[in-house]
Amino acid sequence: MGIQVQGIMVQVWSGELLHIHIAPSASYEMEELTEARLVAGKGIEGDRYFLGTGTYSPKPDVRDITLIEAEVLEQLALGEPKIPGIKLNLSPADHRRNLTTRGVPVNHLIGKRFRVGETILRGARLNFPCKYIEELLGMPRLFEGLLNRSGLNCSIESGGIIRPGDRILPLED
Amino acid sequence: MASPRLIMKMKVASLRSELGDVSVIEFRHPKRPELPPFEAGAHVDVHLPTGKIRQYSLMGDPADLSRYIVGVKLEAKGRGGSAWLHDNLRVGDEVPVSAPRNHFRLSPDGAKHLLIAGGIGVTPMIAMAHALKAQGKAFTLHYFSRSRSLAPMARELEAELPAGSVVFHFDDEPSTSVDMTELLKVVEEGTHLYYCGPPGFMAWIRAESAHWPTQNVHFEAFQPETDRDFVPEAFSVRLRSSGREFEVPADASALSILRTAGVLLFSSCENGVCGSCECGILSGEPIHRDAVLSPEARTKRFIPCVSRAKGQIVLDL
Repeated sequence: MGIQVQGIMVQVWSGELLHIHIAPSASYEMEELTEARLVAGKGIEGDRYFLGTGTYSPKPDVRDITLIEAEVLEQLALGEPKIPGIKLNLSPADHRRNLTTRGVPVNHLIGKRFRVGETILRGARLNFPCKYIEELLGMPRLFEGLLNRSGLNCSIESGGIIRPGDRILPLED
Repeated sequence: MASPRLIMKMKVASLRSELGDVSVIEFRHPKRPELPPFEAGAHVDVHLPTGKIRQYSLMGDPADLSRYIVGVKLEAKGRGGSAWLHDNLRVGDEVPVSAPRNHFRLSPDGAKHLLIAGGIGVTPMIAMAHALKAQGKAFTLHYFSRSRSLAPMARELEAELPAGSVVFHFDDEPSTSVDMTELLKVVEEGTHLYYCGPPGFMAWIRAESAHWPTQNVHFEAFQPETDRDFVPEAFSVRLRSSGREFEVPADASALSILRTAGVLLFSSCENGVCGSCECGILSGEPIHRDAVLSPEARTKRFIPCVSRAKGQIVLDL
């Protein structure tokens, strides 16, 4: 997507929503949705954090909805980067983030607003992997493999319906 | 901390009645053709709509990951889980089932394996027998039951296992009886003993195998053996990480007190059987009341849902 800045055409990022997953409760496997309702300030209808039945770290936090890049899963499956060289097939049903995206610079969206379909999210903090998921999935070293690329926890500023295939676009603050 | 396990919404693919008031339930997953793997002796948690969670041994062949099969004996005087399953479960029902966990593993270096089952305690042994058969290992399964007409899966075992590897002992058929003292008298090097059954049966085999080296003896109980005369007393728990201290009154469990205080611990059966809430113990005088930890593990691990202590213990939390 190109826009004109100081007389030059530059590319801005635009991404796509690939998958939507929710879990009804802590430790339950994720379920894929073809459509989901996002509620501002709350979460995805039916998800554990929407229902208040998730596994929380005790500190106050924003995690209405979580995102992770499909690109990260692909690199992990290849064992990249070579150091530490952790090679794991983490499927979108198993990573326990809500949205799997493509073309979204997730780590650069802290404090930024962006659109997913008709909804508006704001990046809150980088997601930090937990040992819990490593044990839950029986995947040793997954924690290490996800360090610094474990996705983004976001707040929902404006709710609505999202579907796989929706465009993800940056917005002005 | 014991590991959490993924809970999957599985479907009841088939149900059949077996001898001795046993219902054999086959679970399949609508979207996972291959289930998380398990080793013989493993169990799953079955989450009932009543909020109860029950552990059942997987009795299918560990090589077949398309399904999990459990055998549930109706315990009319039990805590209600088996009665609910017998009365309400139908083919096609959706039931949350955890990924398997194993406290009852076959010893990989055992030269010979002696399996002793009492009644429904045969379920983990069926998976073990399949695994041992596949590995070409020497084993004998002694299956005890009150009567041939009450012995679940007996016919299936007879048909599927090599001749002579399963020996039946029925209380009402004196010709099938065996002298347990004699059977367990000689401890051959490299032989491992496994037993599972109701509480009286467990006590019997434990007494008869008291001279066996503990590392060669493996067992799984349905419920911890409880001393009826045990009077719980208050004790205190200190956490290594934060130094926080908690009083556990006589009428509460350490698990419930820690949970109320916001300490994250997984739990499932809360009956000392499943090991979900297991944690490390660093010092103090514990009173172990669980059915999970081996004597060796008891020197450094603790099951806070049922176990208690004298004075203060320090947990590795």
